[in-house]
Amino acid sequence: MNGKKSEIQMSRREFLGLSALGLGIALANARPAAATRAVAPDEVAILYDPVKCVGCKACQMACKRWNKLPNESTDPLGIYESPQGLSAITWNIIKLRRTETGWHFFNYQCMHCTDAACVEVCPTGALYHDPKGFVALDRDKCNGCGYCTQFCPYGVPHLQVENALTGRAKSAKCVFCQDRLWAGIGGPRCAEVCPVGALTWGKRGELLEKARARVAELQAKGMSARLYGETEAGGLHRLSILLDEPEAYGLPSVPKTPTFARAWQRIIQPLGNVAFGAALLGIFGVFLFVRRKIRMEEVK
Amino acid sequence: MTVQLKGRPEVITIQWIPKYTFMERLGHWLHTATFVPLAITGMILYFPFLQPLAQGEAGLFIRLVHRVAAVIFGLLPIVYYLVEPRRLILHLREFLLRKEDIGWLKAAPAYYLLGKHEAMPPQGRFNAGEKLNGLMMIVTWFVFGITGIPMWFGKGVIPPEIFRWLVVFHDLAMIVSVCMLMVHLYLAVAHPLMWAGLVSMRFGVTSAEYAAEHHAKWFYGPKRAMEMWEAKKREAAHH
Ligand code: HEM
Repeated sequence: MNGKKSEIQMSRREFLGLSALGLGIALANARPAAATRAVAPDEVAILYDPVKCVGCKACQMACKRWNKLPNESTDPLGIYESPQGLSAITWNIIKLRRTETGWHFFNYQCMHCTDAACVEVCPTGALYHDPKGFVALDRDKCNGCGYCTQFCPYGVPHLQVENALTGRAKSAKCVFCQDRLWAGIGGPRCAEVCPVGALTWGKRGELLEKARARVAELQAKGMSARLYGETEAGGLHRLSILLDEPEAYGLPSVPKTPTFARAWQRIIQPLGNVAFGAALLGIFGVFLFVRRKIRMEEVK
Repeated sequence: MTVQLKGRPEVITIQWIPKYTFMERLGHWLHTATFVPLAITGMILYFPFLQPLAQGEAGLFIRLVHRVAAVIFGLLPIVYYLVEPRRLILHLREFLLRKEDIGWLKAAPAYYLLGKHEAMPPQGRFNAGEKLNGLMMIVTWFVFGITGIPMWFGKGVIPPEIFRWLVVFHDLAMIVSVCMLMVHLYLAVAHPLMWAGLVSMRFGVTSAEYAAEHHAKWFYGPKRAMEMWEAKKREAAHH
């Protein structure tokens, strides 16, 4: 009698233990709430004004120089764009775009989203938000999985592939010259060197005010100017004045991948964990039940 | 073979009969030996709390292990059925679900929870539950391959819109197959009724009495097993 009782008590303890384990696994996927951050006006940002831009590419060169990025050989297509796009070793580039008002230069770099799909899907935490708001990348933590390259709505991060077969690679992208900022040397090199003030940097709240005024000024001149980045993807830290639809610049009007990434990471994966927890608990419950109901000596 | 259970006076005689070939067992254990590392390395990318293991050199290593294991995992069934093509037909026939498998589903709760054999219709070498497990393994094998290969080689080749769905479906296949593995593991290792299962997957043999009880269609042949089952039901109805 006594023996039997202690057996049941032990089962209960085991049961509680496993319940906790099941619950723990189910909750293990809960992402830190910090990822759903709100953008603050004292965060830093870059503002790009294509009307002022003369396409001198000083930004592009300065970026390469500060970040010690090697030259890229490009196809001699006889056009202005060289290299032809962002890559693992080109984090800032001027391209030619045809808009309603004719041909314009446009500067491409990381948009530093607040609602950043790359940060959401990064399995290592290598991509993260700097306290100043932009998206930083810790290359030591990166394991080269490349999810960021596939989820970025702007196609910004690129893999520097060492071996495509083993998957040995590292992600690379503009990090807002994080080292310069934190060392107190200055701001993003691209904005610092711009000779015409097309790229400027500063507090995001102040830049927004400046951008709105500039948009109004351009509109008064009859240009179809608009601001891009105030609310897109939770608010970008690279603000742009556009002279046409975002699509004319290859930018999505509504970036969708942050929502997709969040649905994957915060709905599908946690549901999977509930399935794991339920399976574990169910099996353990059955185990306890069957242990008492079916006696080995009666089994053939 | 005779065995004496610990602390019990009587001696039991077990007559062992062959159940799985050497190649079947080798295939089963190679599948296990690749699936488990795949699941572990995959989960390191999946679970945020395992993030420290996914970082830097450790992360590069687990991704490499995932790829090496994936190659064996992917090629294993192909090589196996190239070597033993006739087993492909046999296995497909054995694993195909039939109408009468509904009978297993109805009898399963009382059978697995209470050990009530009476209502369980005769089963083949694989019972309907094993069939379901096996069919899902075939489905997930295809899903892992169809999603995993482009995840490996497709970055920058296939449109990102498609890549994003591949990762999600790779995850779903993992969730389904790992849940199935947990159930499979419990039944194989800890369920008292299934005591001979692990023996036969290790040594290839099973007890004749166990086979007659659990796999009558295989032990007696489908015709005779059904006749015996009908006779048993008639007898029970009389009483
Ligand atoms: C044909 C077999 C398979 C192939 C080719 C394959 C390939 C891959 C690849 C390429 C990745 C992306 C990471 C990287 O680039 O290194 C990955 C991730 C993953 N794999 Fe597999 N895999 C296979 C089988 C499996 C199996 C059997 C499981 C689990 C039971 C599994 C679970 C996972 C998980 C959970 C991830 C992480 C997904 C995430 O980040 O949420 N894979 N696999």
